[in-house]
Amino acid sequence: MTYITIEGLHKKFGTSTVLHEIDMQINKGEFITLLGPSGCGKSTILRIVAGLTDASSGKIHIDGQDMTGIQPKERQVGMVFQSYALFPNMTVKENVAFGLRMQKMNPTEIEKRVEEMLAIVHLTEKADAYPKELSGGQQQRVALARALIVRPKVLLLDEPLSALDAQIRKKLQADLRMIQQQLDMTMILVTHDQEEAMAISDRIFVMHNGRIAQSGTPTAIYTKPKSEFVAQFIGHYNVFTRPTLEKMMGTRLPGEATKFAIRPEAIHLEQRAGDVPLQGTAKQSLMSGNVIRTTFEGTSTFLMEQLHQGEQAIRIGQSYTCYVAQEDVIALS
Amino acid sequence: MKKRSFADLFFLLFVVYIVLPVVATMLYAFAGKWNKTILPEGWTLKWLATLFQDTAFIQAFGRSVLLSGGAVIIALLAIVPAIFVIVLYFPKYEKWIQAAVVMVYSFPGVILAVGLIRVYSQFGVPMIVVVLGAYVIGILPYIYQGTRNSLRNVDARQLLDAAQLLGASKMQAFRKVLLPTVYPGLFAGALLSFSVLFGEFVLINLVVGSRFETVQIYLMKKLSTSGHIASAVVFIYIVLMGILTFIIAKLTKQAKGATNV
Ligand SMILES: Nc1ncnc2c1ncn2[C@@H]1O[C@H](COP(=O)(O)OP(=O)(O)OP(=O)(O)O)[C@@H](O)[C@H]1O
Ligand SMILES: [Mg+2]
Repeated sequence: MTYITIEGLHKKFGTSTVLHEIDMQINKGEFITLLGPSGCGKSTILRIVAGLTDASSGKIHIDGQDMTGIQPKERQVGMVFQSYALFPNMTVKENVAFGLRMQKMNPTEIEKRVEEMLAIVHLTEKADAYPKELSGGQQQRVALARALIVRPKVLLLDEPLSALDAQIRKKLQADLRMIQQQLDMTMILVTHDQEEAMAISDRIFVMHNGRIAQSGTPTAIYTKPKSEFVAQFIGHYNVFTRPTLEKMMGTRLPGEATKFAIRPEAIHLEQRAGDVPLQGTAKQSLMSGNVIRTTFEGTSTFLMEQLHQGEQAIRIGQSYTCYVAQEDVIALS
Repeated sequence: MKKRSFADLFFLLFVVYIVLPVVATMLYAFAGKWNKTILPEGWTLKWLATLFQDTAFIQAFGRSVLLSGGAVIIALLAIVPAIFVIVLYFPKYEKWIQAAVVMVYSFPGVILAVGLIRVYSQFGVPMIVVVLGAYVIGILPYIYQGTRNSLRNVDARQLLDAAQLLGASKMQAFRKVLLPTVYPGLFAGALLSFSVLFGEFVLINLVVGSRFETVQIYLMKKLSTSGHIASAVVFIYIVLMGILTFIIAKLTKQAKGATNV
């Protein structure tokens, strides 16, 4: 049973169309990621779901209820903003309590719920601090606690981690996922970081120029990109046109597709059964973590990724025959 | 080295130029006999006491407070909501406010006075109301700057959005989140406006004159009769401004502290 339905959503700002025909169906308790480059309309979708921006056309249902004309405060939708939007004049505790105070809950109950929530986000000691006295990661957790405490039907997160450094970010991604599962909360996260999307989502919607380019589980999207955009955005795929690739491989490729994608790590140097060859001259080799990325130049340039574990060293300037399994050559539409 | 001592000397001259008359005036307000000596020969509270027993002064003081305070309150009620709405929802019209601010700065009081008298005297509008109106507009720059500066450090739109998603109405979001955030800056702007209006003389003197005697007009009159009394008025004025300045400085610091993330 779908919990949130977005149907035929359109948005124009003046004369420019920012969202075209967006359709999404989200189940209860799912962790959804909207992934796409800057300016593709991710925040606009969240703001329309929250009721902060009106759609030009299209419908949104949450838990069976049509959201048309419903005020933000009536929607039971929570949101965490990229810049946190903590209330500067209130302490951590007061920030977190704000939503419950608006519901006129009795003060002892509020006190109790705030304490619980601060424990969940590990901020009990900071209860009386003001936002400006907190680190970025701590502010982010206050924003999360403030949004979660009113138990919204869905929590929208607009690049909540993008201002944080890599280490804290990894930690908070894990925390976020854990809290989401603990509370069985439906969440929609916006990000332009494909690794983040891969790491924490149940399903990803990849967006491009105001449209949904592809949706599916992280594995499905990673292993079966449908278009050149998704292939390049999500996995740094090598993308070739049909004539180029046929020339490099020296064979005819089956099907109608005009473009093909090959994951860099599917390319290797030793030949296995059923492999097809790829010719190229090594141009550059870079280490990143335990991965070596080598750029080859043949009829077209391509990238190979190997794990760095006693692999034979690649000599720059030398010609190689690389190999790729037939099924790793993905036809794009 | 040489440059340094030149700068020091210049600074000293500047201080003497600015401070000496003020100090002398203050001393004069408490001086008994003061003829041939550098410092007065005796001290007295007589002048201050006389001043406070003069109902004309008390009334003038009351009128000044009423007029300046009234203008500030009207400005707060009328201008501040307008600034909020424009900054938050129609940012592209903000340049018109800025243009208005510049115009207010660039109109000399005398020219304004002539204009106001010419235009409004034909309609029978009481001149004091005309001055009040001019005051309300005259402090636009201070009120605008005060509000704008405190809005600059926060993403006000987003704070309102966040509050609304947590169940607040637009009005509640404004009152509980935005207003407390900008309050120190706004209050500083209001006090500054008040002190500027309290010292205003040109417009009130030319347009209304002694029909509505403010502290400034009272002071003007006393200058020709009693130097001591006039000094006492200046003394009170300076003390009042000192207190206001102190509060404004405190608030400005606080406003900065509250929003530094
Ligand atoms: N209020 C607005 N008025 C006019 N255009 C807008 C407005 N808000 C957004 N846009 C435009 O809509 C497009 C999508 O914006 P949106 O903020 O949804 O992008 P995004 O995917 O969230 O990008 P980012 O990753 O940079 O946050 C952009 O081209 C933007 O310029
Ligand atoms: Mg965005």
